[in-house]
Amino acid sequence: MESQFLSLFEVSIAFEESHLFFPRIVTWVLLGLFALIVLIKAKKVTPALRRAGQAVMHGNEGFDRKRFFGTIFLIVIYFYLMAVVGNVFPNTGYGFLFVSIPFIFVLSVLYVEEKTKKNLLVIAINAVVAPVLAWYVLSQLFRITLP
Amino acid sequence: MEFLSYLSPMFFVLIVAGALVGVIFGAIPGMTATMAVAVCLPLTYALDLTNGLALLLGLYVGGISGGMVPAVLLNIPGTPSSITTTFDGYPMAKKGEGERALKISIVASLFGGLFSAGVLFYFAPLLADFAIKFSYVEKFLIIFLALTVIASLTKNMLMGIFSGVLGVWLSLIGTYEITDGGNGETRLMFDFMEYYLVSGFSLLPVLIGIFGITTILQDAEKGFKGDAASPTIKLTTGSRFSFNVFKGQLTNLVRSSSIGTFVGMLPGVGGSAASVLAYTQEKNFSRDSSQMGNGAPQGLVASESSNNALTGGALVPLLSLGIPGDSTTAILIGAFTLQGIQVGPLFIGDNLDTWYIMIAALVLANLVMFGIMFFAIRYIAKVIEVPKHILYPIIVMMCVVGAYAINYGIMFDVWTLLIFGVFGYIATKVGIELVPLIIGFILGGSAEVYFVKSLESYGTLTVFFTKSPIAVFLWALIVLSLAFSIYIRLRARKKESLASYS
Repeated sequence: MESQFLSLFEVSIAFEESHLFFPRIVTWVLLGLFALIVLIKAKKVTPALRRAGQAVMHGNEGFDRKRFFGTIFLIVIYFYLMAVVGNVFPNTGYGFLFVSIPFIFVLSVLYVEEKTKKNLLVIAINAVVAPVLAWYVLSQLFRITLP
Repeated sequence: MEFLSYLSPMFFVLIVAGALVGVIFGAIPGMTATMAVAVCLPLTYALDLTNGLALLLGLYVGGISGGMVPAVLLNIPGTPSSITTTFDGYPMAKKGEGERALKISIVASLFGGLFSAGVLFYFAPLLADFAIKFSYVEKFLIIFLALTVIASLTKNMLMGIFSGVLGVWLSLIGTYEITDGGNGETRLMFDFMEYYLVSGFSLLPVLIGIFGITTILQDAEKGFKGDAASPTIKLTTGSRFSFNVFKGQLTNLVRSSSIGTFVGMLPGVGGSAASVLAYTQEKNFSRDSSQMGNGAPQGLVASESSNNALTGGALVPLLSLGIPGDSTTAILIGAFTLQGIQVGPLFIGDNLDTWYIMIAALVLANLVMFGIMFFAIRYIAKVIEVPKHILYPIIVMMCVVGAYAINYGIMFDVWTLLIFGVFGYIATKVGIELVPLIIGFILGGSAEVYFVKSLESYGTLTVFFTKSPIAVFLWALIVLSLAFSIYIRLRARKKESLASYS
């Protein structure tokens, strides 16, 4: 009787399938927890989704669409161009240097609250100095690989 | 004392630089010690182990300490762990005692930091010696315990558990490595992803994305209104700082530091838990707590000594078990791996010199932090005026360097930043907790290896319960932590319902 009970816990793992054994368990646990959460919070899910959808589509008090999506858009362009320019000048870090300067400038301008002359001047200086400094220290002094 | 020969002038320069940069990061609201370590990470790629440790530990200690500056001067905690510093610091600053409040906090921080370094020095080797005897079964249970503790201490237990499991799931994407005894097959992905994800997501780009890019997106959403808050309060019109404040505070210092160290050891429990606990304990136990909340030095002492004590505490499980104690040590684990250090039970015994260097760096970092902040606090206080529109673009740039250079130039690691930056942003919106997720992500791979190997060698699930007395003890701890968290929740609910009746 006892041995029958214990045999319930016996597990054998085939080597060819062993890469799926643990992920399968974790996936099932994850799905179970997800179902449980949805079940418990079912009432809150729809209104929350609607609110979020409204904020994203039309913007509201607490959600600055221009700066939020602007940030994501600029980062995508930044990463993409960095690789493109970096391939033109391989192993120099120029891709990083030349693309970081306009990126920092545009992102700063997007974030700054008052576009006064003084603010823009500081932003412009920073946009040139920061990447040049980072590029020089990291890539030239420390020999760190840059795009 | 042989390890002293490793210490060069560069070592000291880097500790000072690290502590200074850390303090500055900590002092800027919204930027944390974790971010400081993440952003400066690329610098350590070029350094050797000793100097890399100097920089990283300087950043860590400085970053945790810097949070007190905006907490006192702006009523905004610079890091989550300085939340209780605002309770008494800001009222003091309003009375014109800003400098006094900051200096009390600095001395308390030093005490907490050194105290926890001492605990680390004596306790971590003991724990490691104990853990050396662990087989795969106990190692798996330790990870299971760590994840349970994290999940049970989050705001919403179900979400906490979900976040931890999600972290584990994400870590399993990629190959079941042959070097770990796996069969070298990929899983949890579509065929077209194999080119990018054959070795899964790299740890550091994931961490840098979640802690760097997510923060920036969260602030971008708010639109940077009232950017660069400037303090309207005077630093020194009220009474001046003197060491007499600390008379009769020894119990408070020791109690709060012990709480901080202990909470630091629990994996995944944030710094705010430590300082809140220390603060409420001081309120409950001190002879006169009537002034707490209106500018009492004892409140600052409790808050700051406990949050700096986290540093040493969080390093205990990291160095003795290989389990990070908080988000900053989670990044440190990645940085250590880069330097070729495998943290875990064998680490201290096999790398005695590195261990002593680490302790020396930690103690020195605390002393340097004290020196910098105590004598230059007026200038550091200006940091909170640096506008974010200058800072944030630089941070994105540094995140890119950190991610790209980590595997010597893989562009996919840079994209990982964005993927996990956006993921972290959405995750916090839907209530997923990032710290359990990260700890799950870091430990997931080992959990799989330990779990599968245990079953392959014993062939039955009962081995997890019957392997050894330690396994039984670990199960007891797991049950205890769950029971404790349920008890806390029930009590809180009871209090709430009582309050709503009256």
